[in-house]
This record gives sequence, C-alpha cells and structure tokens, in this order.
Amino acid sequence: MIESLFVLSSTGKVIIEKHWHELIPRRIVDYFNEQVSKAMAAGEDVTREDVLPIISSPKYQLVNIYRDGLTYLSPVTKEVDPMMVFEFLHRIHDIIQEYFGSVSETIIKENFVTVYQLLEEMMDDGFPLTTEPNALKEIVPAPTMLNKVINTMGATTSVSTRKMPHGMSNLPWRKAGVKYNSNEIFFDIIEEIDAIVDSTGKAVSCEAHGTIQTNSRLSGMPDLTLTFVNPRLVDDCSFHPSVRFNKWDSDKVLSFVPPDGQFRLMSYRVNLSSQQNLPVQVKPSINVGANGAKFDITVSLRNTDGKALENVVLTLPLHKSTTTLTAQCNVGQYMFDPVGKVLRWDIGKIVPRERAPVISGSFGFGAAGSDAAANAGYNIGVEFLINSHSLSGLKVDVLKLFNESYKPYKGVRTMTKAGRYQVRA
Amino acid sequence: MNIDAFKPKFFATSTKGENAELLVDLNSEYRDRRKDAVKRVIANMTVGKDVSSLFPQVVKNMQTEDLEMKKLVYLYLMNYAKSNPDLVILAVNTFVKDTDHVNPLIRALAIRTMGCIRVDKILDHLCEPLRKCLQDDNPYVRKTAALCVAKLWDLDQERALENGFVTILQDLISDSTPMVVANAVTALAEMQESSANKDVFVVNVAIMNKMLAALNECTEWGQIAILTSLADYKPLDSKEAENICERVIPRLQHANGSVVLSAIRILMIFLRYIKSEEFTKSLIKKMSPPLVSLLASAPEVQYVSLRNINLILQKRPDILQNDVRVFFCKYNDPPYVKREKLEIMIKLCNDKNIDQILSELKEYASEVDVDFVRKSVRAIGRCAIIIDEASERCVNVLLDLINTKVNYVVQEAIIVIKDIFRKYPKRYEAIIPTLCQNLDSLDEPEARGSLIWIIGEYAERIENADELIENFLETFLEENSQVQLQLLTATVKLFLKKPSQSQEIVHRVLQTATQEIDNPDTRDRAYVYWRLLSTDPQAAKAVVLSEKPPISVESSSNKISPALMDELITNISTLASVYHKPPTAFMGNRAYGADAVRKAAVADARDEEQIMGEDSPVAPGGAGVSVEAPKSSMTDLLDLDFGSSEPAYSSPPMSGGGQMSSNGAPNYNADLFDMSSDMSSSGGVFGGMAGMNGMGFTQSQPQQGVMSPTNNQFGDLGGLGGMNFGQSAGGQQQQQQTQAPKQQSAAVNDLLDLF
Repeated sequence: MIESLFVLSSTGKVIIEKHWHELIPRRIVDYFNEQVSKAMAAGEDVTREDVLPIISSPKYQLVNIYRDGLTYLSPVTKEVDPMMVFEFLHRIHDIIQEYFGSVSETIIKENFVTVYQLLEEMMDDGFPLTTEPNALKEIVPAPTMLNKVINTMGATTSVSTRKMPHGMSNLPWRKAGVKYNSNEIFFDIIEEIDAIVDSTGKAVSCEAHGTIQTNSRLSGMPDLTLTFVNPRLVDDCSFHPSVRFNKWDSDKVLSFVPPDGQFRLMSYRVNLSSQQNLPVQVKPSINVGANGAKFDITVSLRNTDGKALENVVLTLPLHKSTTTLTAQCNVGQYMFDPVGKVLRWDIGKIVPRERAPVISGSFGFGAAGSDAAANAGYNIGVEFLINSHSLSGLKVDVLKLFNESYKPYKGVRTMTKAGRYQVRA
Repeated sequence: MNIDAFKPKFFATSTKGENAELLVDLNSEYRDRRKDAVKRVIANMTVGKDVSSLFPQVVKNMQTEDLEMKKLVYLYLMNYAKSNPDLVILAVNTFVKDTDHVNPLIRALAIRTMGCIRVDKILDHLCEPLRKCLQDDNPYVRKTAALCVAKLWDLDQERALENGFVTILQDLISDSTPMVVANAVTALAEMQESSANKDVFVVNVAIMNKMLAALNECTEWGQIAILTSLADYKPLDSKEAENICERVIPRLQHANGSVVLSAIRILMIFLRYIKSEEFTKSLIKKMSPPLVSLLASAPEVQYVSLRNINLILQKRPDILQNDVRVFFCKYNDPPYVKREKLEIMIKLCNDKNIDQILSELKEYASEVDVDFVRKSVRAIGRCAIIIDEASERCVNVLLDLINTKVNYVVQEAIIVIKDIFRKYPKRYEAIIPTLCQNLDSLDEPEARGSLIWIIGEYAERIENADELIENFLETFLEENSQVQLQLLTATVKLFLKKPSQSQEIVHRVLQTATQEIDNPDTRDRAYVYWRLLSTDPQAAKAVVLSEKPPISVESSSNKISPALMDELITNISTLASVYHKPPTAFMGNRAYGADAVRKAAVADARDEEQIMGEDSPVAPGGAGVSVEAPKSSMTDLLDLDFGSSEPAYSSPPMSGGGQMSSNGAPNYNADLFDMSSDMSSSGGVFGGMAGMNGMGFTQSQPQQGVMSPTNNQFGDLGGLGGMNFGQSAGGQQQQQQTQAPKQQSAAVNDLLDLF
C-alpha cells in the first residue's frame, strides 16, 4: 500500500502532499531531508542523485525518486513492493510531464488543482487506480488551449459526464466509437545503444534498447497484425497490454487492437556482440602528467550505411582538481565548465567521407593535483542520432488490418540514438 | 442546512476578504463561476489556508451533473473530513443519493469517496449503499466497491463481517470481469494481513485458478496484486507447480518492472516444488532475459533489481551465467548501483569470464569514488580466492595497481594480497619485495597489519626482515592495538625463524609490551609468548608457526543462512529483499518483531558456526562464545583475525568465580577463545588454546578428554608447554574459588600476575 506522497522542492520544502490512506505527519520530511544532507555530506562528489532511493527510518521506509530537481517521497509503514512504488512514482512524474509539458516547482504550483485531481484519480486508498494517460485525460481535462477557451467562453461542460472512461469498456485501453476521417497509423522504431567501449575501440559491453512508439488514428475497433522480417533478433521484449502474448510466443507476430493516440507498443532488447560494428569510433588519447594532461580525441564514422551522424556531442568529465583547459577543434565548438569540471564538445553533424572531427589541447591540475588526479581514468560520454537506421537491423515486414473495411495510411520510421554510450580513455 | 452555524468561528482575518469574495462566487447563478470558485477554494486549501467556513456553500455545489465539479467538491470534503468530521455528516445524504445515480461513474465515485472519509460517523450511512454497489450491474462500480470493503474493514472489522461484506467480497473473486477479480484480491489480501484469525483470504485451488484466469486481462496493478497473493498458494504436487509457472511466465514480458519481479518471485517460490530437472532448467533460462532488461531502467529500479538478483544468484547460481557484461559499471552509475553490480560480478565470476572481469575491476580502480575503488580492489582479491587458476592474473593486476602509488589503492591491495597469501601459502613469495617497497606509504592499521603479517610469515625468505620489523617497532607504542598484536606475533615468528638475528628485538618487544602497554589483549599475548618461549622454544615453534587453516571463499558478513535465504526468496520484490533482512527486522512497529529477529539471528549464528567449524579449531567450550558473539569472532577469524578493537572481555557474559571452581576450564577456554579471535594469527589461537588447555588439565582431568579431539598435535604440544604454566596457575585458581563472583578481566589479571 502506498499511503502518502510528498513532492519536495530542491531545497526540501513540501510543494504538495497527498495522503491516500491515513495522514502521515510532515515531520518525516524533516527526517528525510536530514538523511539526504547527511548522505551528501559524505563526500564532495556526492550529488543528490547518489542518495539511496530507499532510506530506512524507525517508523517508515522512505521510498523516493529524484527527478528534474524534485523529490517524490513516499513513506510506507508496511512491507511493500518497492518496485511498485517506484513504478508508480515514475508514473506520477510522467503524467505531470505529459499534462504540462515539463515538471518544476512553479508548474506544480500553477496547476495545483489539476495535479491534486490527478493524484486523486491515480490512487484509491493506497492502491493504484487509473494510471493510463489516455484514460486520465478523459477524467481530468488537461489544460489545453481548447479547454481554456471552453472554460472562459462558459460553454457547456466537459465531455467526461457523458463518456465512459476506458476502464469501463471491454478493452480497458480503448474507448468505443472512435472516428477519423483519414485513418492512419505511425510506428517509430527508436533504438538506443548502451555501450562501454575501451580505448582500443572494442566494445566491452554493448546492447540496443528499442521501443516501438506508435501513434494510432484509426476508427472503430481495428485489429492489427504487425510482422517483422527478422523477429528472432530480439533477445527480450515487453509489450503494451493490448498485444496478444500467445501470438508472439508462437508466431513472433504482434497482434493487437491498438489504443487511440500515442502509446508504446513494444520495448525490446538486443544483445550486440563485442565485434559489432558500432556506428561511431572515438579515439581518445590522454597523456596525464603530474600537473596536467595533453589530450586529443578523434571521431570517425563507421558502419552507418552511408547515413550522417547528427547531434553529435562528446562530454569529458575531468578530475575535480582540474583548473584550466585550452583546446582547439576543427569542427563544432567546445566549452569547458570550470565548476562542473566537464569539457563538452558540440560537433553537430558528421557526414560520411568528410574529414574526421578532432579536438586537441591540454588541461592543468590546480594545487590539489595529486597522485589520484594523475591516475584517474577518463570516460567520454557520446551522444548522437542517426535517422532511418536501425542498429539491430530489426525491420517491419507488413501490417494487416482486420475487423474494419477501410485502408489505413501506414508509416514506419526508424532511428538509432546513443543511449548510455561511453568510451574509456 | 443551517448556514449560520458555521459562519463566524472559522474565519481567519487574513483570508476574510478572499473568503467573502469566494462566498459570493460560490453562490453565483453561473455554473462556471461557481466551478472556478470551487477550484480557488481547493487551491487555497492545498496551501493550507482555512476555507472551512465556506463548507455549506461548497457542499451545495455537490448536487451537479458536472462530474468535474462533483469531484472537486468531493476533494474538498475529503480534506475536511479529517479535521471536521461533524461537517461531513451534513453531506452524507448527497453521497447516498449519488450511489443511486444513473451514471455508473458517479455511483463509483460516490462510494469510493465515502470510503475514503475515514470518520466513524459515516459508517452508519455507508453500509447500505456499499451493499448495493457490490452487486451493481456495472463492473466499474463493483470493482470500486470491492476496495471500499477494505476501507470499511480498516475502520471497523466487526461491521464488515456482520454485514456479510467479507463473504460478498470472496464471491467477487468469481466475478466475470478480471478487474473486479483483481480488486477483490487486492482488498482481501489487505484485510487478511490485519485479520485476527487469518481466515479472510486463504488461497485454495479454486481461488488460485480464478486468479490465474484473471491474470492476463487485468491492469498492471491488478496483476501485481494477483501475483503477490498467488505466492501464498501451496501447490499439491510438482505438476501443479509447473502449470502455475507456465501461466505466470508470460508476465515476464510486461513493461512494468514490478509485474516482472513479482512473476520472478512466483517462479522462484514454485521452483521449490518442481521435481522435473528439465523444466527447472528451462524456467531458469527464461528468467535471465527479463532480469537483464530491468537493468536498462531508472537507477532506483536497477537498485531493487540488483539486490534481488543478488539473492536469486545465491539460491540459483546457474542463472545469468552468460550475462556478466551487463553488470559492468558505467562511470556515471550512482554509487549504490555500482556497488551492487560489483557484488554480482564477483558472484558470476568463473574461469571463463575472469579475464573480462579483471580488466573491468582494474578499470574501476582508477575511478574517483574512493570507496568504490577500494571495493573494486578488494573484489580482485576475492576473485583470486574463488578461482585458483586465475589467482596469478589477479596478483599481477594487484601489482600493477600497487605500482600506481595511489595511496589508498596500495593499502587496499596489500590487504587483499595478505588474503591471497593465506589462501595460497608460499605461492607468491616473489612479490614480497615489491610489497615491502611501499612500507612507508601505509598509514592505515589494517594495511600495516597486513604487511607485518606477511613479513612475519615469510621472515625466513626476506633478507632484511629484522630491519623491516625494527622499522615498525620504532613506533610500537603509538600503533593501533591490532597493529601491535601483529607486530608482536611477527616478531616472535621472526625470532623462531632467525633466532640469531632477532633475539634482542624479541626481548625488547616483549618487555615493552608487558610493561608499557595497558591494553590487556596486547599485554597478555606478550605474556603468553614470553612464557612459551622461555619454557619450551620447540613447542613455541610448533604453536606459532603452525599450519594456518584455509581462508574461506566468502567472508561471513556476506553470507546468508539457508533459513533466512528461503525467507528472503519468498519475499522477493519486497523491501525485505532489498535490505536482505526478514521483514520483521525493519518493520519495527510489530510486537513480535524483536523475537523473530532474534530467532533469525540465532539461525544465522548456527549457520556461521557450521562454516566456522571447518575453518577454525573451535573447542566445545568455545562454541558458547561463538553463539553469543557470532559476528565478531567469525569475521575476525576469516578476515585473518584482525581483532575488533574492543576488549575481548566485554562481549561474552561472565560467569562468576564460584562457578569457575567446578567448571573453570571450559570457561577459560571460552574466554580465551574469544581473546584469541583477536590474536594475530591462528598460530596465536593454537597458542592460546594450547596453553590454557594445559591449565585445564591440571584442574580437572576429564576436561582434557573433551578438549583433545579438537586439539590436534599442536594442541598436545601446546599442552605440554602449558603444563608448567597450568600448574602454577592452579594455585592461583584455588584462591579464586574462595572469592566472591568477580570480573573475568580481574581474574585474568591475577593470572598474569604470576609471571
């Protein structure tokens, strides 16, 4: 049972609190704040993100997540599935994000009433109730332009009195009577690469996490079957509740009646072998001496089917005793953040067969530069994006529609992005 | 409704103006104006302003067809129900009317909100509408009503039983709509927990089948509830357990991590009943991919997953065998994730992946987080101890790390190398000179102690061992007591191995230790050595330079007893599985908590005792002590006896002097054993035991018989050496018998006065 929620500002002040069961006194927030500052005082590198997500107190177990500067704290008194609490807290954060575009103290304060209504709808007496964004939007209207206009014009009341929520139809995720003039459905296959690459360019660990983000604008009760050219590539996957699991298990096809609007049809994971040709090669060389280091980093394209690498950004966190940095690069621009001790190199686009971007320069340690600074390892974070490319090679074959007579417009896009992609120097 | 009754007394002056304005708007003839006003009221309420004076006006707006408006008023009501229960009763009629509304949404909303107003007075009005809603035609209303029974139960169990709600709820498990079933299960499970007889929700075959039937079709949260309750079912045979697992397996493919982990829990529990090896194998194979996928989620989800994977691996080491790479740390993983990943890497290490793991660990040793670096270095040592064939590669990595000269890396490396020396005696002597080069940079007691132990142990191979020891002895009196103990033992070892070079040193050290040190541990050990050396150097040699018991693979602090393990497996995906403690250990508000913890602790201790039995010469007399203080004596021994700094005599409860007269020897053995756990080497343990055993021998002949099975040849030798000592001690003990119950430390002091 998830009894209460406190949303705390970055300074630990309560922005909003909600008690679904019994009232939990605010004192617990003070205790929590103490524990957080104690944990953060343990070392100079410790950030708020490093604080344990489950903290024990004599009476409560303080389950918390930290997102966008806000803490979502749920003190529980009884044995509970912490994973469920986390999933629920994530859901709250996502819903607020979906409703208001972003999440911050100001946004929550400006929309107190809506947030309060949402919290009420998402939970009944400590048990999650309605958490599907589509269903919630029917019960609690989002502050869209249209709703605002309706409200100010004094027009007739919201739709919600007349319609049944999703939860009441036979398919909890789809409402009845959807109608579109032009029927269309879009699939976005987005793959993120998580990789650790060593200094020789070999992948130490490497996997791709794919999601199929779907936007369905189809009338009636369409029953779809989506087949892949090579479904066996997938090592593990999870589905939207609408997908019939047995069909996947036996035939490796996705058979489903889609929800209306945006939803995530499927997530999957593909293990990539260490011999996998990664789309980009980052060659760092960092020569560290007692007082500083000389470095140069070369970025080159590899195996992208002739496609360009876009939004390429390299970040190099430096040792905390670093005080100065000078560098030059032939492409893009770099920035040294002397407070966060991070070098950020914004390369932009890399087109095949153009000259490889290079950055070189040196940085120096301050007086505190010690053996530790000289021996510290370096890791480069890499961000990039490749349009119309799927690293795993997963490909949609056909989409068939049953139960409805119209012919929908179908669109499939693929994209490969860097997820947590790190190169060790 | 009497409006005047509420008006003046709740008015706060500061909000008077605004409230007056709101009052006008709440009474407006325009619906939107009223709605806007209610919203402002709620906004004020959430920031803590007192808007209770507006109660009658707000409640008036409850009678509306506008669902949003109704919800807002309900929100307002629920908020004030806690502070002003009397006011809410005034709204109860509208609630009851709403539970009869044509719109099922409003019926559901009304019954749900009524249940959330946790006020006794409302219960009188709740029961009839609740009964109707539980039998409503609409599943949405029924599922809402199901949870409402749990709310009523929470406030008044009697009433819930009297009205037959529990029975109705149990019938709802057979409902045709999965989400109703799920909510009935949720409610019943919650009620079961707080019921006196635990008979509200007993999962039998029929219920189990109904739950399984509903599992696929209900919401993610419903699935979690059903899976959680399913864990209580006891399958009749292996076949049935297999069937249940088959039905649960598809849940591993859910996007919600909690559903996945709950499913894993069911599989792990039911695996106990499954006899088919083939099925077990295929099940374990299916569990790996979803566990790996969980690691791609948010850090807190990773954390819970990793803690659970740690448990699962201890129970089923064959899982995740080929997936060690996913546990490699990213530099920006939060520290709590890195630490858990490290533990799992060690658990997964085998002779095939050791090279990969080693190069990872070496990488981590250059990270910024000092604590993580230390843990990584330690992990290298643990790998070396687990995998014999890889130990040389581990040692080479450690040597590389020592050459970085980073202070804390060097110290940590020396500490683990000492463990490696214990595990593989005489195998890596060649690296000793390298270690000794770093002598000056060691400033942590454990690292200093480790190097001293190595020097003492290999004194005959180190040419300038006497110089090195001498070097340490310069600061003997300033050293931490565990370093002093190490120095003492090392010096004696040096003397026994190279008597000609070190006679003077050993004499000086024993003299200093006995005369200038107040710490009884150090002083007494010096006395024991002195006595031993002066009576029979051959015996001393046998005792001090005896074979060391092999070091255990895993230190006991990481080891979970089988009993606790089973309990934790049952509790996968709960807080217990994150803390690796039984639920009763941290849910402190239960009356039986302390007792259960004790029980678990005893089980724990017993288990540790078993491990200990293999590793250390525990005398029957000593066993009592090890149960009393299992943690300290155990870890000390396995971590190569670097004692806790607390005095040995503070932990075990002391028996009085009177008892000692009849039972003296076992007591001494017990205490000495405890003391010896603080001694530097197991040679010391033998020394202590042997010496004391001799003493017991003089006191009571049969005692020797009890002792001898555990005392090997060295014990006998030691006994010979201790004879004199014992005989002379005998007199002293006689004296003690006449004394009133006395502190053990005093007794030992007396004993020491003999010298």
